Amino acid sequence: MKRTTLKALALSTALAGLMAVSAAAETNITFRFNDSEREELRAALDEFEAANPDIKVELETISWKDSRDQFLRESAVGQGPDVVHIAFVWTQEMAEAQAVLPIEELQDYGALPNSFDDFIATDLTAYEGQHWGLPWSADTWAMVMRTDVLEEAGVAAPTTWDELLTASRTIKETTGKTGFAFPAAHQVWFPVNYYLWSNGAEFISADGNGGYEIGVSQDQLAAAMGYFKTYIDEGLAPKSILSIDQPHDPALMQALLDGDQAFAAMPTNTYRQLLGAYEEANPGQPVPFRSTVMMAGDSAPLTHLGGRTLVVNSNTDEPEAAWKLVQFLASAPLFEKYYTNQFPAQKTLLSQIEYRKEELGFAKQLADHTRTWGAYAESGVGVGPLWNVTSRAFGTALSGQSSLDQAAADLLGEIDRMLDH
Amino acid sequence: MKLSPLMRDRLTVFAMLFPTFLVLVGFYLYPTLYNLELSFTDITLLKLRQGGEWVGLANYWEFLTSSSSFHIAFNTIFWLTAVSVTIRMILGLGFALLLNSNVLRNMKMTTIARLILLVPWATPPVVAVIAWRWLFEPTNGPLNRWLLNFGLIDDPIAFTADLATVWPSIVTIVVWNTTPLIGVSLLASLQTVPGELYEAGEIDGANRFQMFRFVTLPYLMPTISVLTLMSVIWTFNNFVYVWLTTGAGPGTYTNVLATEVYLKAFVDLRIGYSAAIGVTMAIVMGVFGALYFRFFGLSDMQDKVG
Repeated sequence: MKRTTLKALALSTALAGLMAVSAAAETNITFRFNDSEREELRAALDEFEAANPDIKVELETISWKDSRDQFLRESAVGQGPDVVHIAFVWTQEMAEAQAVLPIEELQDYGALPNSFDDFIATDLTAYEGQHWGLPWSADTWAMVMRTDVLEEAGVAAPTTWDELLTASRTIKETTGKTGFAFPAAHQVWFPVNYYLWSNGAEFISADGNGGYEIGVSQDQLAAAMGYFKTYIDEGLAPKSILSIDQPHDPALMQALLDGDQAFAAMPTNTYRQLLGAYEEANPGQPVPFRSTVMMAGDSAPLTHLGGRTLVVNSNTDEPEAAWKLVQFLASAPLFEKYYTNQFPAQKTLLSQIEYRKEELGFAKQLADHTRTWGAYAESGVGVGPLWNVTSRAFGTALSGQSSLDQAAADLLGEIDRMLDH
Repeated sequence: MKLSPLMRDRLTVFAMLFPTFLVLVGFYLYPTLYNLELSFTDITLLKLRQGGEWVGLANYWEFLTSSSSFHIAFNTIFWLTAVSVTIRMILGLGFALLLNSNVLRNMKMTTIARLILLVPWATPPVVAVIAWRWLFEPTNGPLNRWLLNFGLIDDPIAFTADLATVWPSIVTIVVWNTTPLIGVSLLASLQTVPGELYEAGEIDGANRFQMFRFVTLPYLMPTISVLTLMSVIWTFNNFVYVWLTTGAGPGTYTNVLATEVYLKAFVDLRIGYSAAIGVTMAIVMGVFGALYFRFFGLSDMQDKVG
């Protein structure tokens, strides 16, 4: 009996040893992802693991809101996931914080299929002569319209900000419904910039002498605040938008799905989710949505060229496996099978996309009416800090906490301070 | 060397306290001193590896002279702390008196009433805020539906976005979630009041209010005093309720010191400046605590109770 027990012990020890050796041969890396397509990404990672049996990838998820700060904190103490999904505009900050590895160094582990030049918005990943992230997906915002509400109100599709306001008033008067509603808290940043850009202003611009200056006057800023405040003051949009952060907030999405709202501005992936939700709730029914380019002002409509970047943590112990994962995530099949709500940030893949007719506004916007954040990033102020002070200042103006002039003056003072620093 | 019994006792006490002392140094004193050091630098979240540069009192000066400081201090001291602590102390006392009364006892409702009172306290603050945000929701929230159905309002109220309602909404959540602790603590104190005192009061012809004023309240004062101090410190430093309910908005209308610390550190990335606000908060609370004990000293109160 004793001998049998000893044999069993020896066998189990040997087995455990073998398993330990096999586990040791396995490379474990972590990928942190912020979008909602978690199940799809897990399926994609399963495919990656099947093709690379020596690499196991743990999928971590975090909200966009916490993503940047969490990674910066972890990175500063030598921790954090191996591959991280960030916004285009954070890449330079991550490089400055020495939190990520340069692409030039990572490409030693394997070249990209169409070379790094095939990626768009690479200027946003550049810092001190190197590139610090791989542009992953590209997006921008465009206008979305609910065609049946427009018909009900007898309103033509607006093309300018003024027409949008007039159409919203008509819709309210004739149907009692909301015309244009927007997230008036954190992400008011986007429509505000589109409004300013299409009226020839911007928060920061190049001064022509190699420096940077404020590119908007107090009057222009107060006018922009006044424009968006009109929707709230006249009851054209519900006051609750003051506490809405995101364009995909359930209150905004539900109003569009129910046909209680005619216009919205949103990014590509939100629109695709909206279309999917409508089709799921109304199978076989024609889709009453269309997209158009953003509203114009005195000049042509413009939106930002945004998107997501993949970066490799400078603390990673497995840079080769991490880069292999980045290459897989940037490959064409990923966008065709798994990450389908996003457009790839690669010229070759973008040219191959077949848009639905409802998405043609986004296609046109992306192709002809986008710009990068330009001087906002190049001036050293950074998009993130500028975004924060702007959304707070607009919040104080739109809610009535401050007068338009006071809020505009305060914001300009903040931007001036940031430029000085 | 032979140690005297007194010395042996002292060494034993020291040896037993030493681990706790180490924990306090590691988890309280060191972070406090480190935070103090950071507050004199311009360190940002992007410069954590490189470290910040010494800027002396610049962060403190900037915060104290900032145009938004008064607004933030007013929100913290008046709305978040004074209003919510006052309401919760009054309500807590009311609940304690009700739970200790014969009314509930005669209806055999004492146990169930005490359990019901504990439900909000057992609800984590995050869950409480989410539940209340849903109740306050303008389009589908039950509160707006009830008010509309009863004809009390014509249009839904954006409770957490309207300047007129946002602070009362936050205070409602804080009071709902925290009053039970006050109620239960005061109930425990109420049960220690000797019955003979009430009998003596009755013989002297005291009415109900006089009984409460001259018998019950003096007995409760030490507990009320400690609960008030704890509530003030805890609420003054609280971040969760405001941040989860409004994110310090609309605009910066509900910004308080704790949310300003977060905004400056993790939104604007200015760790040094944020640390200076944290140190200022600690100083304010330290001074408040010292003054509070000076004017409402517990030992005096216990003397008064006898």
